[in-house]
Order: sequence, then C-alpha cells, then structure tokens
Amino acid sequence: MKTNVKLRDCNLFRLVCFIIIPLLFLVFCALQPKSYITGLVITAGIYIVLCASLNLINGFSGMFSMGHAAFMAIGAYLSAFLTLSANVKMNMTPGLPGWLIHAQLPFGVALIIGGLAAALVAVIIGFPVVRTKGHYLSVVTLALIVVVRAVIDNQDKLTSGSRGLKGIPTKSTILTVYIVVIITLFLLYRIVRSDYGRGLVAMRDDPTAAQTLGINLVKKKISCFAISAFFAGVGGGLWAHYLTAISGASFYFTKSFDIVEMSIIGGMFTLSGSILGALFYTVVPEFLAPLENGLRIGGLQLPSMFGLSNIIMALFLIFLIIFRRQGLMGRSELLLDSWFSKDTYLALFRKKDYARLAEGFLNLFRRKKKAES
Amino acid sequence: MTLSYILTILVSGLKLGAIYAIVAIGYSIVYGILRLINFAHGDIMTVGIYIILVLMNRAGLPIYVSILASVAISVFVGLLIERLAYRPLRDATEETTLISSLAVSALLQNILLLCFGAQRQPFMLPGFLTQGHTIGSVNFTNINIITFIITAIFLVALFLLLSKTKIGIAMRACSENMKAARLMGISVNKVVMVAFAIGSGMAVIAGFLLAGEYKTVYPSLGFVPGLKAFCAAVIGGIGSLGGAVAGAFIIGVTEILFAGLMPTSYTAYRDAFVFLLMVVVLLFRPNGLFGSTKGERS
Amino acid sequence: MKKIATLLLALAMVFALAACGAGGGNGGTDDASAAPTEEANGGGAAVTGDVIKIGGIFNVTGDQSSIDAPAQKAFALAVDEINANGGINGRKVEAVFYDGQTDTAVCASDAKKLIDNDGVIAIGGLSDSDYAYAAGAVAQEAGIPIVFSGATTPDIPDVVGNCAFMTAFGDDVCAHAAAEYLYNEMGARTVYVLTDTSMSYTSNLSAYFVERFKELGGEVTLEDHFSSGDYDFSAQIQRYLATGETDAMFMSTGPDDASTVIEQYRSAGATAPMISGDGWDADLWGVAGDLANKDVYVCTHYSTGDTSETVQHFIAAYTEKYGIAPENAFAALGYDCAQILFKAIEACGDDITAENIRTNIEAINGLVCTTGTISYTADNHVPDKTVVVTQSVDGALKFITNI
Repeated sequence: MKTNVKLRDCNLFRLVCFIIIPLLFLVFCALQPKSYITGLVITAGIYIVLCASLNLINGFSGMFSMGHAAFMAIGAYLSAFLTLSANVKMNMTPGLPGWLIHAQLPFGVALIIGGLAAALVAVIIGFPVVRTKGHYLSVVTLALIVVVRAVIDNQDKLTSGSRGLKGIPTKSTILTVYIVVIITLFLLYRIVRSDYGRGLVAMRDDPTAAQTLGINLVKKKISCFAISAFFAGVGGGLWAHYLTAISGASFYFTKSFDIVEMSIIGGMFTLSGSILGALFYTVVPEFLAPLENGLRIGGLQLPSMFGLSNIIMALFLIFLIIFRRQGLMGRSELLLDSWFSKDTYLALFRKKDYARLAEGFLNLFRRKKKAES
Repeated sequence: MTLSYILTILVSGLKLGAIYAIVAIGYSIVYGILRLINFAHGDIMTVGIYIILVLMNRAGLPIYVSILASVAISVFVGLLIERLAYRPLRDATEETTLISSLAVSALLQNILLLCFGAQRQPFMLPGFLTQGHTIGSVNFTNINIITFIITAIFLVALFLLLSKTKIGIAMRACSENMKAARLMGISVNKVVMVAFAIGSGMAVIAGFLLAGEYKTVYPSLGFVPGLKAFCAAVIGGIGSLGGAVAGAFIIGVTEILFAGLMPTSYTAYRDAFVFLLMVVVLLFRPNGLFGSTKGERS
Repeated sequence: MKKIATLLLALAMVFALAACGAGGGNGGTDDASAAPTEEANGGGAAVTGDVIKIGGIFNVTGDQSSIDAPAQKAFALAVDEINANGGINGRKVEAVFYDGQTDTAVCASDAKKLIDNDGVIAIGGLSDSDYAYAAGAVAQEAGIPIVFSGATTPDIPDVVGNCAFMTAFGDDVCAHAAAEYLYNEMGARTVYVLTDTSMSYTSNLSAYFVERFKELGGEVTLEDHFSSGDYDFSAQIQRYLATGETDAMFMSTGPDDASTVIEQYRSAGATAPMISGDGWDADLWGVAGDLANKDVYVCTHYSTGDTSETVQHFIAAYTEKYGIAPENAFAALGYDCAQILFKAIEACGDDITAENIRTNIEAINGLVCTTGTISYTADNHVPDKTVVVTQSVDGALKFITNI
C-alpha cells in the first residue's frame, strides 16, 4: 500500500477544489452581476492580474519594483481613451491628437493597446531602471509613480487633469475579467516555465553565473520589466472599465503598496501566490470592516474605530514577513500546476485517479490517528 | 527676474534644505549601517511631534521638558520597532526589510489617525522662536537659524562619535561589513540599537523644527519628508553624513529654484523634479555626488 | 498539509461571504438586477419592517478624512436626532456606515455592500467627485437614490444618472459668486490665482473663477499651482510678490491647506484680499492665528454666525455630542444630506421604496436646511442655493452678503 499519497497530489481532488468549485462560484456570481459579492470577485480578479504580473518582476527576476501603479495608470488612461466616445473626449480631453479622439475600439483591443503602451514606457524607463540595484531600483520605480501622477494632474488638455476621466463604459464584468485572468496566468505560467523564465530565475539566484551562461542581463531585465508592465497596463484597463471613473489620485503610492503587499502576503515566488494574495487582500478587510463600525460583542458596544482594519493588516504583514517570509503559498505552484495540466482534467476518466483520491482521504485520517496516538 | 528675486528664492531654498538636512542626518545614520530604507523614519518623526503636542498642550509641561520627554519616548518606540520588526529580518534581503518598514509606517500612521484624527492640528511655538528678521528683501525667523545651527551641531557630534568613540568605530565597521564586524567581536545588535536610538532621537528634533516651521501636524506629515530625506541621502552619497546634508541642501535649493523660475504651469511638477533629479544622479554617479567610488563611508 | 489548510480557509471565507451576500439582501439584489437602470420604477429595495435602513459612505481614513469625518459625525447626529423624536412616521432609522478609505474601488464596493448585504433604501455621503462617480454608478445601477453630502462638481448628476443628488451647490455657482463679489463689490480688476492641481475640486473652482472673472472684464495677472502635500509655498509667494501685488487673490485649495496658505502668504508680506470657495470654510485660524483675520473672504454654504434656529440648533447639538464645534462646512452638509433623505422618506408615507424616495427627493421644494433652502426638480438635481460670502473676523466667518 502506498502510504505517502497526499490529498493535494490527487488530480481529482485538485479538479474539484481548484477548478470545479471556483468555476461554479464564478458562474454563481455571473448570475447576479450587480451584487456586492460579484463586485468583490471582480476586484479580486483584477488584483490577480496586477499581482501576478508584479510577481514576475519581484519574485522571478529578483528586481523589486514598487511602481506598478504607474503602469496601471498608463494602461487605464489609454484603454479608456480608446473606448470612450469621440463626443465625450472632445469635451473632456480636447488636447488629444485627432486620431485618438475619433478612435473607438472594442474592449479587448483597447486593453491590449493600453498594455502595449505601458510596456513601451517600461522599455524606455527600463534602461535607467535596470542600471540600479536592490532597493535603489524600488525607489526609482516609486519616482516613476510621482512623475506619472504629476503628468496626469497637470496635463489638463490631455488627461482632463485631476478632474479625471469619467463615464467610462462598464466593460469589466465577471466574464471579461476572468477571461483576462486566465489568459494572463496562462501566458505568465508558460513564460516562467520556458527557457526564458528559467533564465530569469538563474539571474535572480546568481547574476554572475547567469551571465557566464550567456544570459544578457540587461536585455533580460528590460524585457521582463516590459512584460510585467504590459499585464499591469491590462490590469489598469480592467480597473478603469470597472470603476468607470479614474483620476491620477487612484494610481498613487497607496495603490502600488497595496499590490506589493498582496504579492508579499500570497508569496511572490510563485504565480499561485498572487492568486492567494489577491483573494486574501480583497476578502479579509471585508471581515474586519464590522470591527471598525463598533461591533457589539455580547451586549458590549465597542466604539467605532476607523483605521483599525488598516492597523490589523499592517500588523499581520509584519508577522507574516517575520514568520513566513515566503508568503502564504510558499514556493508551491499548486494552483497553476493543476489548472494548466491535462492530467487534472483527464482524471475524471481515469480509474487510477479515483483510487488515489480514496488513498489520499484514507491517509488523511491515518495521519490524524497517528498524531493522536 | 531681478537679482533680489533670485536671492530671496535662494534663501527660501536654503531654509527648505535645512529642514530636509536635519531629517536626512537621522535617516542616514540608520541607512548607513543597516542599508535599510526606513520608510517609518518619517513616521517616528510624526509620533514625536504628537507627543510633544500632547505634553505641551494637554499636560501643560514646558517646551524643553516636552521635547526631552518626547525624545526619550520616541527613542523607546524606535528601539521597539527595531527589536520587533527589523531584527528578526537581519539576514533577509533588502526588499524584505523594506516591506517591513512600509508596514511599520502604515501602522504608525493609522495609530495616530485613530488617536488624534486626520484634522491638521496647529503646532505653535513660543513667540521668540518664530520671531522674524528682515534683511533687504530676505525674511527669516529664529527657527530657521536654529535649524541651521542644530544641523551643524548634529553633523559635528556625529562626526566625533564616529571617529573618536569606540561605539562609533564599531558602527563604521558594521557599515563596511557587518559579517566581518561580527567576527571581530563587535555586537552588531548593540550597534544597530545605538544607531536606531540616535536616528529616532534626531527624528524628533527634526520633526519639532519641521512642524514648528510649518506650524502644523497631521498623521501623514512625515512620509514625504522621509522620502525626500532618502533622495537627499542618495544624491549626496549613501553612507556619507556630510553628503546627506549636502544632498538635502541641493534638493531644497533646486526644488525652490525649479518652482520659482520655471513657467507657472510647471510649478506643480516640483516633487516629480526632485525624484527625477535623484534618478539622474543615480545613473551617472551611482554612489552619489560625494560618496566615495568604493561605496565606503567617508 | 498546511498549505492545503490555508487554501481551504481562503476558499471557505469566500464562500461564507457568498452566503452572506445571498442571504442578507435577497429582495434588494433580485429586484435591482431585474429592474431597468434608467427610470427604475419600483425597483430596488422596499422597507417592510419598522426599521428604515439607510447607508452612509464617508472617507474617514486617507486624504479625504478631514472633510468626510466631520460630515459622517453630523450625519450620525441627524440620525440620532430623528430617532429621539420618534423616527420617521413611527419607524426608526438605522444608519450603516462604511469607510471609503479615500479609494474609489472601496467606495464602489461599499455601495454594493450597503445595497446588497445591508439592504439599505438610500445612501448619503462623500465629499469629492472621484468617489461620488464610483459609488454613484453602483447606486444608479441598483436604482437606489444617493445624496452626496459635500461633492460639488456640477456634472455629477449628469454623469451618474437620475438617482444622484447633491446637497451642495455646484462649483460653478460658488466660483462665479466669488468672481462677481470681487469685481462688483470690491472693485478688483486684477487677480492672482493659486490652484491645487491634485484635486478635482480645486481645479474646477479655479477654471470657473477665471472664466467668470475674465468675462466680467477683469484681468488674471498670474496663475500659479501646487499639489496638496506641499507645505512650503515660498517659491509661489516670492514669484507673486516679484510680479507685483494684485487687487485680490483667489486661493483654490482644499480645507487642509487653507490656514497654512494664509499664514505663509501673509507673513511673507502679501496684503491683497484673499478669497476662496467653500473649501476654506474650515479652521482658518489654527496655523495662521490672527493673520487669518486680515482681509480673508470665503464663499460658502452657510455662516456659523447665522442666527436662524436651524443653524444654531445644529451647532449646539454637534458641540454637545462631540465636544467640539463643527470642524468645517462639510459637517453642515452631512447634516443636511441626512435631512434631505429624511424629508423624502417621510413623504413616502408607508410605501417606502427606493424609487418613491427618489421621486420624493425630486419633489423637495423649499426645505430649510443649515446650508440654505433646498429645492430639486426632475431635471435639476443640483440645488440652486445662494452662496454666502463671509469674511473672517476675530476667529469666525462673519456674514457679509448673499449672491
């Protein structure tokens, strides 16, 4: 009898827990598109895209960027320009070039162009950025946020200034967002599993050795920066078309720190970590909100304390960094491995997977008994 | 664009630079040893200002006692933060400690928010500190002069500490190479604690002068000066205290010159300008303008 | 095993939330999604029990908190008062507050949560347009009326839809009043304009002011800018002084910067009269002290010196409950925002539905509030209120004239 079969290694278990249940849940959400829970799920989805793209830089390449909000902003503004009607743009942003005013493209195309614009900016600023090391790089990317915000706020004719863009069509629904999520994760998953991705990890772990193996570090860093910025731009586009109103203030330090924070919480060394981090970051504060409102515990009315959930989240982050630095997910790529593997889906038709599942369950109880005795 | 105009804005720049400088010194002393971008430095500063405010206004203590008490409490807070949030990460990467300091910063800001609210509170100093002088078209107050003097005193005191005392030499050793220092029998924890104590204490003095100059305090007051102090340290050269002070004055003066001389439609770009300046310096002089090329402490 | 446990925990949380979502606001969700968004009739929730639930979204943390926190306190005060007086038509009012965290996404999510989980029948709150657009879009989709307490961008109802109402006058009205007062009453012909470019409110205010002042025949000598967070204005001041003093200064800043701006400009020797919009109806004296009493004018919603019973009652009640006088005009607006909702709910009689409240808000005519008399029509959801011009005298804003 094989005794070391773990439940999480069973394809069937993975299929049910990581694919079927979440999928059913998404369908459930899609059936009530305006509900609060659906809104949360959409937000989580957008955060997954942002966080996964951040993990590509921060976790895999070893650079530590904090400038994601800047790329988000670029993607958000450009994709919004491409879906807003010409009339609106003529009023709000008369300084745009004529072709951009009259351009009105399908949502998907707009997202991609927004992403490409962000990637372009990433390449341009990539040259100075990748010359810096360690936390210098982090601070240079923070500088990028300041610059982007200053441009958005002060180029009145182009961006409508701090008044922001409004009336952006609501195109980010459960369906569109999660299509983007799946595509993003799939592409990123393929990238990190490719030669290119292995090169990134090599560069992270030992730059000198990687260089001797013929890896061009500058090229690698800039391209990685650009890929990440592309998806951040796409995420920004989703964000704009979910909230329908954006301004420079929505893409400042706080937003960037939020994404970094969820990336750390979930675990920045895997893409699965970004999923867990984004979910955690969207869901947990919702449970803390009642605390702020002055919870009633057994007849004792606590005073309302706004800001408390931020304090709890900050404390949690400090504890997490100290005691589980690699994040909740650690270094396991469990989620994506099961999503993008044929075996998971074929398990439904394979007898031996059912046997393994039974084995796994039995082991679960066995181990418990062992622990008790 | 007369000469006297340029002179007045130059003086404004120097005044701003002095404020940045005094923040930057405390910042560099920690940064020099730990290589830690301490985002929470600015917030320790804010905590210190609030403590002074409470002691002065609610407990009715005289100003000197309030400042001393606030320095003592803030040093304690700084050491506590170091012990709880940074020491367990001594062997971690730079980025991990960076995140930790970010979390501490958020923590302090939100605690202040919870205790004092977000309203800006007036921070009034006794009259003789804010008394103004005018020479020609140039205005300045006693507090401007005091800021300059204290910056100089700090600089000299730290220089003496680092070159003459045993703990100072140990600090320099840690800053050069922490592992080697440990092997030489230096207690790294002690050195870091001393650095944090000095840094936090100076932060309070800096905060007092900053809040005194602008006469107000609010929970997020310290964050931006903290970032600018970092820019100053980078421009001047990491690890060089004199460089940090010079960098602070460079930032203060160029920032005001930028805002005062560029067409008015660009004045709101001044923060962006400061950060760009830092990026440019990093590109061409990665060790800063006054940092030695070997990246050592001067 | 630990990882699995973590994962399962996360999943479980999501599901627990789903259950809340499905259970909590049943009626609300289904009706809302079925009803057409425009001219939603009978859509949204309805009150059946003897408690009327209304929601409040205020940015009590983050940059907006100095404006929104007083507004929320005043809103809560209004709810306490109406309940102490027996509620509305015998029903108690329960207010559910969520913190928007000065984050558009959180504001949108808060609105969803209020409508979906808490089943509120109407929403009040928010003092800035960015957040108003985000939360408003959600309320509009669900057909729930939303009354913004302090947001003043005049296009909000046009952008959001027929469920959105403003408590305050539009920025255009406020800025035009300032321009007219300067030109006609004070005889100012040249003016200096300082704008905080990082806020939509201040950018709008300046644009409307400059437009109107030029229209009247005045000249804008110098326009300068800053972003909130800068607390050093020396460069701007020196440039202004070097250009030469003007007849007046229009200072478009948020309430946080007001006193600092006055202090720095006045102590550097700028003597021209200063005027600003409702953003300056705040603590002008904290930093500036006596300097704020020198030729400073504010075009605002109400005057604390107003001897009318409504205003004096509000100030007394607020002071009694919170131990301090209302921090700024946004408190008064938060109080009025609640009164508008109460009035409309009262007019519904026993048939309290979201759509009825909405039409009854539109029908409000001549409601006397602390910030003036409020009337709406079906086409105009921005109240046409008079602008109160006040002057800072001895630590208070003294009424001068209505425009």
